[in-house]
Amino acid sequence: MASEVISAVVPKSGRIEHNPDLCRGCRICEVACSAYHDGICSSQLSRIHVVPNDLALEFPAQICRQCEYPGCYYACPKKDKSLCIDGETGARYINEEECIKCGSCYRACPFTPSLIFVSEEDGKKRYYKCDLCRGRADGPICAEVCPRDALTYKPKGKSK
Amino acid sequence: MYGWIGKILRVDIGSGEVTTEDTSKYVPQYIGGKGIATRIAWNELNPGVGPYDPENMLMFMTGPFTGTLVPTSGRGSVCGVSPRIYPTPWFTYGTMGGDWAAELKYAGFDAVIIKGISPKLSYLWINDGKVELLDAKQVAGLDTFVTQYRLKQKHGDRTQVVCIGPAGENRVLWSTIQHKLSNSIGDAGLGAVMGAKNLKAIAIRGTGGVKIAKTEEFIKICRQMAEMIKGGPTNFPHPDKDHFYHAPIGPGNQQCSHGCPLGCGELNKNVPAGIAAGSGTRNMMTHCEDGVFIYGESATHYPTEDIKDIYDGDMYTRGTKAFGKRLGTELQSLCEGLGLTSAFPINYYPWFWVCIENGITEIKGVRLKPDEPTFWFEFMKKVAYREGEFGEIFAEDLMRAADRLDLPPLVKKAAKFQFPMWGQPSHRQGRSYEAQPSPLWINTMLHWIIDSRDAMASHHQSSFMAGWMPLHNEGKGGTPDSNMERLKAAYKKAFGTTGGMEPGFENIDDKTRLAIWQDNRAQIKDSLLICDWVFPAIIHAFPSREEYLEAEDYYGDIDAEAKLLAPLTGLDIDTAFIDRAGERIRNLDRAVHIRNYGRSREVDSTGEWYYEYPEKADGTRLDIKIFNDILDSYYRHRGWDKATGHPTRAKLEELGLKDVVDELENKGKRTS
Repeated sequence: MASEVISAVVPKSGRIEHNPDLCRGCRICEVACSAYHDGICSSQLSRIHVVPNDLALEFPAQICRQCEYPGCYYACPKKDKSLCIDGETGARYINEEECIKCGSCYRACPFTPSLIFVSEEDGKKRYYKCDLCRGRADGPICAEVCPRDALTYKPKGKSK
Repeated sequence: MYGWIGKILRVDIGSGEVTTEDTSKYVPQYIGGKGIATRIAWNELNPGVGPYDPENMLMFMTGPFTGTLVPTSGRGSVCGVSPRIYPTPWFTYGTMGGDWAAELKYAGFDAVIIKGISPKLSYLWINDGKVELLDAKQVAGLDTFVTQYRLKQKHGDRTQVVCIGPAGENRVLWSTIQHKLSNSIGDAGLGAVMGAKNLKAIAIRGTGGVKIAKTEEFIKICRQMAEMIKGGPTNFPHPDKDHFYHAPIGPGNQQCSHGCPLGCGELNKNVPAGIAAGSGTRNMMTHCEDGVFIYGESATHYPTEDIKDIYDGDMYTRGTKAFGKRLGTELQSLCEGLGLTSAFPINYYPWFWVCIENGITEIKGVRLKPDEPTFWFEFMKKVAYREGEFGEIFAEDLMRAADRLDLPPLVKKAAKFQFPMWGQPSHRQGRSYEAQPSPLWINTMLHWIIDSRDAMASHHQSSFMAGWMPLHNEGKGGTPDSNMERLKAAYKKAFGTTGGMEPGFENIDDKTRLAIWQDNRAQIKDSLLICDWVFPAIIHAFPSREEYLEAEDYYGDIDAEAKLLAPLTGLDIDTAFIDRAGERIRNLDRAVHIRNYGRSREVDSTGEWYYEYPEKADGTRLDIKIFNDILDSYYRHRGWDKATGHPTRAKLEELGLKDVVDELENKGKRTS
């Protein structure tokens, strides 16, 4: 079983790296991300979550690592239709039109808390994750708007 | 709705009744924030309602920009009748940054209006549209940091908390409503109102968002504006040092507000504690005047010697002692933890020295030692807990304290000099801090005499340009004159005239019109809400000193507000609409003050005495005739009656406030 999974090698991806030492928790990345993807400014609907510990002046963030061996992709029952690999950036992204909301990807994410986010509106679940703003000419919007250079986009090939 | 969430939450914490109303009742004409709060005050705040009455409302407001990508937009405002205003408590406002205002919108509300008095100490828990008034037993008496920490522990680390400390619980008149490390509603004095309502905190968590009408256009204009303000409003060369006023953005700096790309605050992380705590470390963000314990305020008021020459020993003040990073951070953290306004030493320190030098070395059994940090620890604790007669007296703030104490006339006058109008601490009003030669102080004076509090909290734009930028580049490649010329070029672009910037008392009409425009835009800032340090952007920021020195002019973009609001809301909004809305909010605020507190020309003139003292850079000063000429001109351009200072019927009707002018007349207020 394990060998079967590892043999299913997927193309490498670029990734966004967050440096908590440079981050100051302004959350512009969050509102830019949700504005770009959903036409709404929201922390929760952003695909990057900054969870500042305001009182300790610490600024960690949660964003998909675009794993080399993406558990979410392997777990998706509709892989390549719902959880897909972007040819250009390598982003592991969710095609929401095809998504059957089974939550397999959410549970398969190796990170805790999961870096695939879930929201619920009117009883309907929605799973969403960082797609590296695939198709956007200037690359991921969060890295572009970050005033601190705390977010860096490492295109595939350059990422380790 | 786009931009606005569409619902205002109303809670009567006395009866527990929770209702909502549609924001669309108030927008777009009142924009949001202070604008909506002022309309609600007009509709519901009856004359005679005092700060501690259940009918007083504590209004936590956001604006259409709050929680969006608009640079500097994470701000919120709090309005209500403040006990700190002297001599008459009246309706006023404060704004602060942080993340609570954005979270409130994400939780589904544009504002939360609190009425009533809770029978026991409680806190409000607003969670995605659901509202509960909970027992605050577990955070009673705790400082503002521990209160936030406990409530975050209970409700989740993404919960945002605004709260009061012991000072607010004890209704200290200069107590704050505190958020995060150093965001606060400070000088407004509304912490005491929250305390009187038995409301310890509001905890907020929301997973919703702010909808954008025209996403692509909105993102584009937000990016442009972020670029224009890059470097920050305070990025002007320091007169004496090689660095800028506030260092450019770096790891040591932090924004004060959600959605802000700048870094005007200084991060003081893991500073070792000593004298108060004995061990451990302190984290603080230090921002402008809350750094006064650390850096002192050397430029505050006149140096002793100058004053002695000018006033023949009648009046002087002195700069505040700097206690350095370690002690200063600890003092600041105690202050913000207790929930007191941390800029207070700017005014209290020199006043205590006046006492000492006039033979008063002890007040109610407490020795005055303003140079000793232990004195300030004791002072703050006594005040916050109203300990003894000393604590009780100073908890009422300096003006009321000076009234109660038996002091020589000079010492009483010194208190008034520190709190020249409305019981508010001096703050760039034209005789304090840096020099403001004419016409610059005329401008800031007008803001102070017309407003309901320290006006500079929402009129920094004028004071920065006035006192700060043009004059402080001497010896660094620029001169006051050359900077002034470039500043005038920016004004020329914005207004087509530089009359408002000419020295002396000529062109009074240009000066008052400029002040009116700035004041209208101040209302807009507090309603949208955006940073007072940045907008309106007559000037743009400079990423580097070189660019600053080489710039031909400083013009930014005074249409920025309209350019941002239109695509966010999808409404047909232009700069004329923005200016008109600002004028409407000011006139409505004026009407509230006329109806409820008898605001008049006579009241406006109570600050005149202060400007009979000369400005330190150029010696210019007022006499009563010039003051009256200026006020005549201001009222004329406002459309206010010259004799009463009341807006005329024509003006209020023009602004769509017919119901307001009708009621003013019903109440016997002259409006023509």
